[in-house]
Amino acid sequence: MLKTTQLHAYHASHAKMTEFAGYDMPLWYTTTTDEHFAVRNSSGIFDVSHMGRFEVKGSQATDFLEGLVPTNVRPQPLGKAFYTLLLNDRGGIIDDLIIERLADDRYMVVVNAANAHADMDHMTAHAPAGLGMEDLTGSTAMIAVQGPKAAESLQPLTEADLGQIKRFRCAETKVAGERALVSRTGYTGEDGFEVIVYGASVERPEGAMRAWEKLAATSTPCGLGARDSLRLEAGLPLHGSDIDPATNPFEADLAWVISAGKTGYVGSAVLADPAVRQPQAVRRGLVLDSGIPRHGFEVADSSGKVGFVTSGTFSPIMRKGVAQCRVRRDRSEFGTRVSVRVREAPVGGTITKPPFYDESLYGWKRTKGN
Amino acid sequence: MEVQGYQIPDGLMYTKEHEWAKEEGGVVRVGITDYAAKTLNDVVYVTSPKVGAKVEQLKPLGTVESIKAVSEIYSPISGTVTKVNGELDSHPELVNKSPYGEGWLVEVKPSNFAAESKILLDAGGYAAYLGSLLKK
Repeated sequence: MLKTTQLHAYHASHAKMTEFAGYDMPLWYTTTTDEHFAVRNSSGIFDVSHMGRFEVKGSQATDFLEGLVPTNVRPQPLGKAFYTLLLNDRGGIIDDLIIERLADDRYMVVVNAANAHADMDHMTAHAPAGLGMEDLTGSTAMIAVQGPKAAESLQPLTEADLGQIKRFRCAETKVAGERALVSRTGYTGEDGFEVIVYGASVERPEGAMRAWEKLAATSTPCGLGARDSLRLEAGLPLHGSDIDPATNPFEADLAWVISAGKTGYVGSAVLADPAVRQPQAVRRGLVLDSGIPRHGFEVADSSGKVGFVTSGTFSPIMRKGVAQCRVRRDRSEFGTRVSVRVREAPVGGTITKPPFYDESLYGWKRTKGN
Repeated sequence: MEVQGYQIPDGLMYTKEHEWAKEEGGVVRVGITDYAAKTLNDVVYVTSPKVGAKVEQLKPLGTVESIKAVSEIYSPISGTVTKVNGELDSHPELVNKSPYGEGWLVEVKPSNFAAESKILLDAGGYAAYLGSLLKK
């Protein structure tokens, strides 16, 4: 029996549905291409209520998180949202996540749906007695509003001035009359927001549904198809495909989340090893000359196999196949030419720094005044 | 004819793999059905054989790809490819907009049409098959 989100009734009557991480989720409403362009050119909304949301609070909250993630937590200002990783003892990535600091001693931790149980187990195993930790996934909904017109779409419903919530900042306010946590974050490469609507369970979805339907008047509902093509164009990793518990932050090209000199967090001992810091293979972006790269396709050069595609798609903006791959570090320099076996035929491709689109035309950097 | 919103024109022949074939003047034009196109959602890439390639009935002829997935196309008929729809290189979305018209894939000169066409479905047969598939 699949789980459903608070907004399921809307999706079931408007979208083609698919199973994802145990949830019955919208794959597309119209077409993935149209939804993709809506986000790049205007504004799109995504139901991301399936993602895990944990509140961590109490006098031990900061120390607890400090010992868990490779990014410094204590110096994060109130109202900061930061991207980081949960690591195992071997330095492998259990999950990538966003932590939002709501008060000195209160945080919201937002994790991938597919890993929510593993994350909770990991956090519980390291939690000191008396720590306040609550899974809010079932009692809150979450809506992503993404695109150059996201602020324009969300502002009329929102009490707070969104102009005051800068990129990777967050604030608790009201949205559509409901208590909500709004962060200027997302998974598309565009400007945009992720809105956690409090007091919205599957049994009492009215508040979240009201917010969704109001947003749908000015933003295009988007399914998981567009969510995947958008994040691939932006070069953002998908845990379970591009990174996983056997991949460390250096292999994942995510070592930037490790705060300089930080020690004493889970996995830190392994990551201090100079050999680990010079991995054999690394995550890279890849743009093909033709054809569409898919998970598992071999990446080669004249010397033979040098890597493989971890996820790929057709980029509607570039009209080319784009991917993330894991390639040998000595073949990972940007501009390196490789060939990818697309079924029988080898196709040329270039190791490329994402985002793959022209950032003067698309993506959050083009939007002035953030 | 129409099944749950999926168009199934009379006068064409169909496979259970959701291709259609239309014989005219000794040449068979091949495409994918409205159901196949809508299931793919948005076709963004088509790989076709080259003119002169030999194809075999119900063996892979090429691929149609959406953003999300790859779908194999099976040839409804054996023969030699005489024409490829070059428009699809720059406008693959024609497969969605007009699966039975401008979104055709290839033309094949059949090598054994009389025998092979007997195992293809007519519009009524395909409609019944599709109806049973959608009920599952």
